[in-house]
Amino acid sequence: MSKQPYSVLGLFDSPQQLLDAIPAVKTHARGRLEAYTPYPVHGMDEALGLRKSPVGGMVFVMGLIGALAALGFELWTAGIDYPTLTAGKPYFSWEAFIPILFESMVLFACFTSGLGMLLLLNRLPSFRDPMLRSKSMPRITRDKFALAVESQGRPLDVDALSALLRKAGAQEIEVVEQPEAPGPVSPHFLMRSALTIAVGCIAAGYLTYWGVKLFPVVAPISHMLDQPRLDPQRESNYFQDGFGMRLPVAGTVARGHMPFAVASQEEAARLANPLPRTEETLKRGKQAFSTYCSVCHGILGNGQTSLTAAYGAKPANLVSRQMQDYEDGKIYYVIAKGKNAMPPYAADLSEEERWSVVHYVRVLQRALNAKDTDISKETSK
Amino acid sequence: MNDSKTGKIVAAGAVAGLVGLAATGFLSGWDRFWVNWIQWFLFVLTIGLGCLFLVALEHVVGAKWSVPLRRIPERLSGLTLLMAPVGLLALLSLPVLYPWMHPESLKDPVVGGKAVWLNGWFFAIRVVACIGLWILAYAVFVRGSIRQDNDKDPKFNVRARRFAPLFMVIFGITITIVAFDWISSLEPAWYSDVFGVYVFAGTFLAGLAATTLAVLYLKRCNRLPDIGPSHLYNLGGFMFAFIVFWSYIGFAQYMLIWYANLPEEVFWYKERLDGLWGPLLLGLAVVHFFVPFVILIPRTAKGEPKRLVWIAGLILAAHWLDLYWMIFPILGKGPLFGWPELSFALFFLCAGILWARRAMNRGADMPVGDPFLREGLEFRL
Repeated sequence: MSKQPYSVLGLFDSPQQLLDAIPAVKTHARGRLEAYTPYPVHGMDEALGLRKSPVGGMVFVMGLIGALAALGFELWTAGIDYPTLTAGKPYFSWEAFIPILFESMVLFACFTSGLGMLLLLNRLPSFRDPMLRSKSMPRITRDKFALAVESQGRPLDVDALSALLRKAGAQEIEVVEQPEAPGPVSPHFLMRSALTIAVGCIAAGYLTYWGVKLFPVVAPISHMLDQPRLDPQRESNYFQDGFGMRLPVAGTVARGHMPFAVASQEEAARLANPLPRTEETLKRGKQAFSTYCSVCHGILGNGQTSLTAAYGAKPANLVSRQMQDYEDGKIYYVIAKGKNAMPPYAADLSEEERWSVVHYVRVLQRALNAKDTDISKETSK
Repeated sequence: MNDSKTGKIVAAGAVAGLVGLAATGFLSGWDRFWVNWIQWFLFVLTIGLGCLFLVALEHVVGAKWSVPLRRIPERLSGLTLLMAPVGLLALLSLPVLYPWMHPESLKDPVVGGKAVWLNGWFFAIRVVACIGLWILAYAVFVRGSIRQDNDKDPKFNVRARRFAPLFMVIFGITITIVAFDWISSLEPAWYSDVFGVYVFAGTFLAGLAATTLAVLYLKRCNRLPDIGPSHLYNLGGFMFAFIVFWSYIGFAQYMLIWYANLPEEVFWYKERLDGLWGPLLLGLAVVHFFVPFVILIPRTAKGEPKRLVWIAGLILAAHWLDLYWMIFPILGKGPLFGWPELSFALFFLCAGILWARRAMNRGADMPVGDPFLREGLEFRL
């Protein structure tokens, strides 16, 4: 026989015979003992002297990692990177983090126990296991219980082992041969694999492309399009007045917003500009003025732009004498409510921006109507 | 001889406790007396009900491993009967402790809406009905099982298995009634649908812990020599699972109420987190979940008698603390623990131990008439 034996199998009729045979074989045989049975046999671990499975430890560690990873992720996203206020709860709400922490822990632990047992510890899938060539394997999966002495590279004394197993009660003996060592992978096989993968990718790509193109609205995906929410400015039969958008509850104001309670421009005259005249305020005023006002009133506020010539309109000259005498509140009122052809800008400019613009208009007025005293004495000399 | 000496000491303890218990009402006020009464009534009752449920569960699923152990929860479930007169006496606490007994509290629309359920007569009818159903279940499961010791009639198993699913329904309803009536209605405005499940989780865990303690005690007295580590492992595994279940339900209840933040729900937790109650709840989480959970994680720990004794004792103490945390805040003070609580503890513990010692002689130590006993004894993991 040219081939090396891989293992010597003894077949038994019952699990008890197998268990009884183990101690005798264990003391005399050299090589690794392995049992093959159609179903798990109680006491086999102890009889074979198998070490404790490391799955429990692996699951514990991975479960812990899963829990900590989820907790860290939640702390980072919800509390640090993109803090979002939810239902007025604090950013770091451990109560809200627990369910995801729990699920993530279970996920990590389950995958570790399942895949770790199959792939890492049992090295599955294994198509080259020599035991698969055993002629007794079909019977072992049915009603036979086998005890194998495996060589693990060392030569086996087949005759002695057969005698030992027979003496221990085995009804039949089979010698399983060592399979030939697999050669290097052939270039032909590699080529074919690469070609198969490439064809598969191209086919999948084309199928996806045409699938999405021909059936853009497929049942489960289209569910996202059909949402019960109301878009802005849409009607809704839910409310009696038929509007989807709601007015604020009577007597309430939005955060950081005061309702506009002035009835006329004359009345607005008594309003005082609440903003201090700081550089920052003026910068904001200039920004808002050049965005919204300068289109018609001109970049200097004198009412002259190319736009006026084209449309024949006559926007107010903001730096005129009359405008200089206007109270702050009156200018503010015009910005919010509009005047003559000028539309209201209440929706575009916030209260603070409106008051900043008022400040900036004063700056323009002063700049275009400078007095001698404005020039400092050092400069005039 | 030593045994009867211990018995006398315990009996003396019970008498001393009874004196203190009687003095409580006159010296510390009747509300404190009845609060303690309810606390101990529910503590002992839930242990008995947990054991009764364990017995029924084993019949429902046809468990074989637990047959040799079944006599222990059967004996302990007699605590339910012992608590029947205590529960009937507890009806006297209704005017003292339960606000819905007073007409002025019904003016509150929330409490008033529950008046159909929460009224003295209906409450008393429910208490009597629940006790009647438990006695019926005890007669079917426990009496029948003890009778089987002598006549060895396998028909008992058929009867018990037919009745057990029905009892599951009865148990589900009655334990919910216990939770809602005796505990939840102390604060009649409160809503929590899952509260019955929460109390059930604690009940079953307490039953398991008491069973484990009694099994280990009898094993130490050499009365259960055939109970092996596999059986103990199953008890430990059961406790491990329901430690997690209790925590899961407890946290789910807390998290939903915390999230929704509705006034009619959240006040219950607020009262039980204010002052020293907050740290007490934290301690409850530690002794009811973290410590037993971590200790029971290793496989070897679940079957090791020394650890199981400590864990089972800890769980019983934690179950007491759980009830204490739910019931005692209604007095509107911080955690109370003085001589009234000690005398109640002394009385109920000593009386319970005396009773349990007697109960441990009911029938044989194993259900010797059960046809599945042999199969149960051969059970191995």
